[in-house]
Amino acid sequence: MHLYLHVPFCARRCSYCDFSIAVRRRIPVRGYVECVLRELGDLISSGWVDPGASPRGSLYLGGGTPSLLPPEAVATLLTHLLDAFSSTPSLDALEVTIEANPEDVTLSTASSWRRSGINRVSLGAQSFDDNVLQWMHRFHDAARIGAAVRTLRAAGLDNISLDLIFALPPELNRDWSRDLDEALALAPPHLSVYGLTVEERTPLARWISRGTSSAPDDDRYAAEYLLAHERLRNAGYHFYEVSNAARDGHRSRHNSAYWSGRPYSGLGPAAHSYDGRVRRWNLAPWEAYRRAVQSGRSAIESQEILTDEQRELERIYLALRTDAGLPVSAPYRLLPPLTAWVERGWVALRGGRLACTAQGWLRLDSLVRDLTALAVAV
Amino acid sequence: MRQDHIRNFCIVAHIDHGKSTLADRLIELTGTLDKRLMREQVLDTMDLERERGITIKLNAVRMQYRARDGGIYELNLIDTPGHVDFTYEVSRSLNACEGAILVVDASQGIQAQTISNLFLALDAGLEIIPALNKIDLPGAEPDRRAQELHELLGDGAKPGEILRISAKEGTNVPELLEAVVRRVPPPRGDRAAPLRALIFDSYFDRYRGAIPSIRVVDGVLRAGMRVAFGAHKDDVYEVDEVGYLQLGHKPTEQLDAGEVGYVVANVRGVRDTRPGDTILDAEHRDVPLLPGYREIKSMVFAGLYPTDAGQFEGLRDALAKLQLNDASLHYEPESSVALGFGFRCGFLGLLHMEIVRERLQREFDLDLISTVPNVEYHVHKTDGSVQVVENPSLMPHGSTVQRIEEPFVKARILAPAEYIGAMMTLGQERRGVYSGMHYLDPARVEFGWEFPLAEIILDFYDKLKTISRGYAALDYEFLEYRASDLVRLDMLLNGEAVDAFSVIIHRDKAHEWGKKVAERLKELIPRQLFEIVIQAAIGTKVIARESIRPLRKNVTAKCYGGDVTRKRKLLEKQREGKKRMKQVGTVEIPQEAFLAVLRVD
Repeated sequence: MHLYLHVPFCARRCSYCDFSIAVRRRIPVRGYVECVLRELGDLISSGWVDPGASPRGSLYLGGGTPSLLPPEAVATLLTHLLDAFSSTPSLDALEVTIEANPEDVTLSTASSWRRSGINRVSLGAQSFDDNVLQWMHRFHDAARIGAAVRTLRAAGLDNISLDLIFALPPELNRDWSRDLDEALALAPPHLSVYGLTVEERTPLARWISRGTSSAPDDDRYAAEYLLAHERLRNAGYHFYEVSNAARDGHRSRHNSAYWSGRPYSGLGPAAHSYDGRVRRWNLAPWEAYRRAVQSGRSAIESQEILTDEQRELERIYLALRTDAGLPVSAPYRLLPPLTAWVERGWVALRGGRLACTAQGWLRLDSLVRDLTALAVAV
Repeated sequence: MRQDHIRNFCIVAHIDHGKSTLADRLIELTGTLDKRLMREQVLDTMDLERERGITIKLNAVRMQYRARDGGIYELNLIDTPGHVDFTYEVSRSLNACEGAILVVDASQGIQAQTISNLFLALDAGLEIIPALNKIDLPGAEPDRRAQELHELLGDGAKPGEILRISAKEGTNVPELLEAVVRRVPPPRGDRAAPLRALIFDSYFDRYRGAIPSIRVVDGVLRAGMRVAFGAHKDDVYEVDEVGYLQLGHKPTEQLDAGEVGYVVANVRGVRDTRPGDTILDAEHRDVPLLPGYREIKSMVFAGLYPTDAGQFEGLRDALAKLQLNDASLHYEPESSVALGFGFRCGFLGLLHMEIVRERLQREFDLDLISTVPNVEYHVHKTDGSVQVVENPSLMPHGSTVQRIEEPFVKARILAPAEYIGAMMTLGQERRGVYSGMHYLDPARVEFGWEFPLAEIILDFYDKLKTISRGYAALDYEFLEYRASDLVRLDMLLNGEAVDAFSVIIHRDKAHEWGKKVAERLKELIPRQLFEIVIQAAIGTKVIARESIRPLRKNVTAKCYGGDVTRKRKLLEKQREGKKRMKQVGTVEIPQEAFLAVLRVD
């Protein structure tokens, strides 16, 4: 079973972020914990959480900024959430991740997380350039990243992932190569590298429309993405998804569940759940979610029942995001676009599966569009 | 009705000079129609005509009028179309009349089209009754315009005798009616002779087939008679009904020589009731036909393709339906590598093409792409044969071609004298052969030019209006086929010619055209996975080149639980978008690209 908990609170909105978050100076901890536990109870009684479904499950506290929650609140939540996994043989078979900002990581917090059952931390490093971090509206500086990694390890949390963002506006003079070096020097077993995407209604989108920030540059994006592939490969990492690289045995089990189309359940505002057929999602604004749950109403905002065609489209898209790729039956392997892509080195055909190279992942959305138009049913 | 109490006449006027308003007033004044039933400008019945302020389909209205001499007259007002595309139809309807009211806007004066139609009216031997309209408007200069009319018509229009009217206000319209009675000669047909009736329009009724509007020249036409048509004499039809037109069909027992009306005889489509043709008594099919009938020839051709291949059948049915009511529309199926299955259509002119296209889209809810309109070329080959080419992509290349001939038209342009320079420049740009000019009055000039029709079908009219701030007017008629130094210019995408973009063009203009189209395509075709090389080529010789850089990236960086739905929706949308693109080889071409080449300037 895979369970996601959305913690919507942030101290400030990052310049590129369009997630459903609630910016709060003081976090309504009690209200939040109450709501989540109540929702969990409903979820269990509704049968959406099936404890026996998968022995190798995962629990993911994402945000927002889950590390803003006091460690005691995390402990309370985990006590109940992990109960839902009671049939899992041992807690170590469970991947329990928390997303954290470097500035929130202290030895006592990290130790508390460890005691509560957390065994993986995804650290929002983003860059090792202080100017860039400020521009992003982050509170930490470069030094805090290294400190946080060392602290986590001291608390027994070795399974660490660092998030980095690339393809930043050129005027920031960000040295991507140096940032990669800095990240690799910390030797985290997992790295996520995300290309900057300009989303509507973000501070960044406004800066670009005002002309104070330059628009995204695809050439830069491509060059930096390929550089990350090269560096990480040389350092012993393997890209197992468009934006995710890991050393052996350290792939994110939780996120892999999304990409392989397995069912998952979500709690908290804006959280999505999927049972293999129906996808439903909660009310996104924190206040709306709180009012609904506290007054005994459902937190679900809406749902969709996927048609076979939609499931197929998602399957193709998600499969091609991963290194496993998509099984393609023999006659389709000879179709003109596929052969042209192979020739260009965008995809490779191995063991009856079509998988993207780094060059292919850069063009993934186009490839999927063309592929699904061909109706490569397999 | 006694022939000497019949008056058949029409109104000759430029667009906007008040023809329809005047018709309304006449109908109202004669009490033909209850005032409450009057819609403004009742003669223009098609919505599209109303919107564009032009009259496309002919129509007629019969009015009873008690004249000041005490007699009751039957006045038949026959409407004429007012656009250069429809010269032949105009001449047919003029032939059904004995007189014409020449309406000229008292502020704008005579326009090119008015002169053309006036000449047609004079050719048809009509009595001309000039009238200056819109004298109620502040800009009216009736004295000056009256002098012009006098110069144009000579003693038939003495400045002091020209009626000054306001069709809008009704001023002097009764005097105009009197003038019609007094000056338009009555018809002089032989009632006792075998039937000869002139078709001047035809209308398609879903239940009763093609219903021609006619003028009986000789003899009598009545229900139960067996009739034939001069253009296909062997087919015999039984007349179900005859009648006159009064904003609808009013059945009568018979139509006598000199009268105007309609006939219902179960004719399948308007192709069998062509304007200009003669209706004969089936028992007397050997009488001479009325003069002037001509097969209508398409002048402008374009491919029409459904945006969605699934609409091909719909387009075919729609064209068939339109053709039942529009004998001048020609079409035949063709296929294009780029656009799939569609039809090569022939039109009278560009306006006719636009009207057809709009009707197809509006009335039949079709989404269409059209190719660049072109004319019909005569390709003389070295082996002595002649190939007629309506589709540029079928133009043979190279050594088999001895010469190519294209249609030329004789054009008349009227423009204020201050634009002489601009007119001369435009004429030369369009490969015009200048044949002279003369002043209509100190302020206005009439130019004579001979143009290749191809040069004026695209945007000439707009250009003319732009450089003269709307004052210049154009009229043209077919002249002859002439040899020109023409080449076929292809547009290639990644080495593959896109047939829908091929044009036939004068060698001197090919480079400029090719360069502009290449630039436009570069703007309009989105970046794709592979580089796109755009080339303009004559045969194997590339004369312009552009390239579209390939996409460097198109990927969504993040995709987790909740994003899957969002991302899938985006993909679904992109897939829909792809469906609307036309695929040529590896290149996807958006619809706009096909439209854009129509507007290359």
